[in-house]
Amino acid sequence: MILYDAHHLPECYAVRLFAALVGAPLTLVPVDVYPGHEHRSDDFLARNPLGTLPVLVDGDTVWTDWQEMLAALALRHDAAWFPAHDPALIGWLGMARDLAASLGLARLIDTFGAPGDAAAARAHADVLLDEIERRRWFGERAGKVWVMPQAHPTIADVAVFVFIALCEDAGLSLRDRPALRRWIDRVRFAPGFIAMSGVFPPMANVTR
Amino acid sequence: MTNLATGVWYAIAADHDLVDGHVYRTVLGGHELAVWRAQSGTVQVWDDRCPHRGVRFSLGEVVGDDLRCQYHAWRFGPTGACTFIPAQPQMKVPGTIRARTWPVAQSGGLVWTGIDPAGPVPDLPPGTVARAIPIARPAAEVAAALVALEGLAPVVQPLDAGTTMVRAIATDGDVPRADRVLVALRRRLESAV
Amino acid sequence: MARFARTIAHTPGCPKKRNRAAAKTRWTLRRGGLATAAMTAIDPIVWNDWHPVAARCTLDPARAHTTVLLNQPLTIAIDGAGTITARRDDGGALHQDERYGLVWVCLGTPDRPVLVIAEADEPDRPAVVVGAVAVRAAGPRVIENFLDLGHLGYVHAGYLGDDPHTRVLPYSVAALPQGGIIATGCRMYQPQASPAATEGFDVEYVYKVERALITCLYKSNPLHRDRFDVIYLFVQPVTETTSVAHPLLLCLPDGTTPQGLRAFQQTIFLQDKPILENQRPARLPLADGADTPIAADKSSVAYRRWLSAIGLTWGVIPAPAKAARAA
Repeated sequence: MILYDAHHLPECYAVRLFAALVGAPLTLVPVDVYPGHEHRSDDFLARNPLGTLPVLVDGDTVWTDWQEMLAALALRHDAAWFPAHDPALIGWLGMARDLAASLGLARLIDTFGAPGDAAAARAHADVLLDEIERRRWFGERAGKVWVMPQAHPTIADVAVFVFIALCEDAGLSLRDRPALRRWIDRVRFAPGFIAMSGVFPPMANVTR
Repeated sequence: MTNLATGVWYAIAADHDLVDGHVYRTVLGGHELAVWRAQSGTVQVWDDRCPHRGVRFSLGEVVGDDLRCQYHAWRFGPTGACTFIPAQPQMKVPGTIRARTWPVAQSGGLVWTGIDPAGPVPDLPPGTVARAIPIARPAAEVAAALVALEGLAPVVQPLDAGTTMVRAIATDGDVPRADRVLVALRRRLESAV
Repeated sequence: MARFARTIAHTPGCPKKRNRAAAKTRWTLRRGGLATAAMTAIDPIVWNDWHPVAARCTLDPARAHTTVLLNQPLTIAIDGAGTITARRDDGGALHQDERYGLVWVCLGTPDRPVLVIAEADEPDRPAVVVGAVAVRAAGPRVIENFLDLGHLGYVHAGYLGDDPHTRVLPYSVAALPQGGIIATGCRMYQPQASPAATEGFDVEYVYKVERALITCLYKSNPLHRDRFDVIYLFVQPVTETTSVAHPLLLCLPDGTTPQGLRAFQQTIFLQDKPILENQRPARLPLADGADTPIAADKSSVAYRRWLSAIGLTWGVIPAPAKAARAA
């Protein structure tokens, strides 16, 4: 499968990370979104009229929605990551889109000079992070390791992680959100995990 | 810089905050702290700042009984002494290279520290440790508002001049109720500004 | 000769001359007592120097670019003909220039031109603007990190270094005749030194700091082992504790597209960003003993001492007077 990829976008990272977690080989085609604006080129718009990244291509099949890509990869490689029977999955994927529109937007404005109201985006993200922290804290008490009730991690973890792990780029802090920090570490230490710039890969596997 | 009393024990974390391999991060009276549990089980409270180049230790990782800084992977043992510098692996690390350590006590499900804390850690009633709630108001104001809360034995951690962390023991064990009460208190105090 | 021609070609026309005259007048007035507190407090070393504020290639005629330089909000506009105009939002004067694909501004009285980069005139080195990245860190912290060898095997593991090849071999640091410092003889094993590298190799580096907030490195190119790729990092001082990094690549042709070069360099800089944003104190402390340098940190020590010696106050915690004199 071919992934049209922008290295700095959380949505692209979600697909790269998930493919690594389930062992799906990807061929990456870098698209110079920043500063090159290649996603507005005729070539790219012919591939995805929405002009968004990532785009996943498998033969004649083209996906342009990053969450749909996660589901498709899960169905193909390991369906345990995609508990379609549980309505909570819809909620968490929606939460991830809300994070994209708040935390993700504030990050693009603050770090890459995109237009928009960073303070308003940040205020919305703050509310979301507080709520996810609350759910995670009570989840931990109930012995739930991941955001969904399942014992196995799900695409919801990946979808939410890629934004929260980059929250400092958006001027947000996890200092007073300890359950989120613990969950971030749990994802980082998952077998197959890969980092992107801004997220530290686990070091502790290297010993001397 | 600090509104911290000397000689006083402050609760800065709950036991459940310290999981294997993880560095918990908080701030006490303007002093940023990294809190972690070594493989041997001892709990460490350190300045959240690597003495080498000032990077927060809480970005790093626990490796066995060492804390490893994320920047240059310098390792520091439970006494705070630097044990290994990968850029100069043959060098015997000078004993003067140390992380600044804080006193530690564990009691009532909480981790305590302070500046020259004296005497025993405050005795809390039995119960369950509720979720710590940060409130963007000064400690004195938050403490005053906590007096009236039933079923909760609160302890206050001044984060900085304008922000306070409230930890509470739910004496009836009803942690969800304690959470609702503290979150409502947060909303009330923060909206009263 | 080529360099000279280029310098002339970049000399701006009339609008800038008007600006310069206006700036002098205004500057005098401000010195006479009309200055705001914020303005008089700003370190003349950075106030009278040139700083990049935008890349031409990212400017959009449909939308003015806003940024901040030395606490002063700026608006940079480009018209349909490609003419770029930088303005201070408070109406104050500024000096404007364009070099290396970047728009440069001096808010004070420039006593020298924008830094001349000889390699920019070598015909087989296209200047590639990487794309600005804002970072919540003091400018001097960003420069110091660029000079740092010991972090390459960790923060850039798999690219610019790798555990266990983390040993920093001895290198030399000297003063540059025109001011600044140079570190030579730096060597590092790198698994992926650049996008074109197909295998790890021992990379040789030279680092220079030519102005307080401008640094560069020369590093071995995997295909031209007798010449060097050149990477500049210009730091736009936004506030004392926030900056915008403007990296510029002057690399030898090795088959890598500009897009590939940009993606690689952005990846590297964005790996440094969380480190820079978690260094405390936020401003770089210049006193000896504020941190714990080892031999591997020679260039950091030299940079901090040089900043003390020139008396920089922006983005730093100055050393006590005695320490500054000793440097």
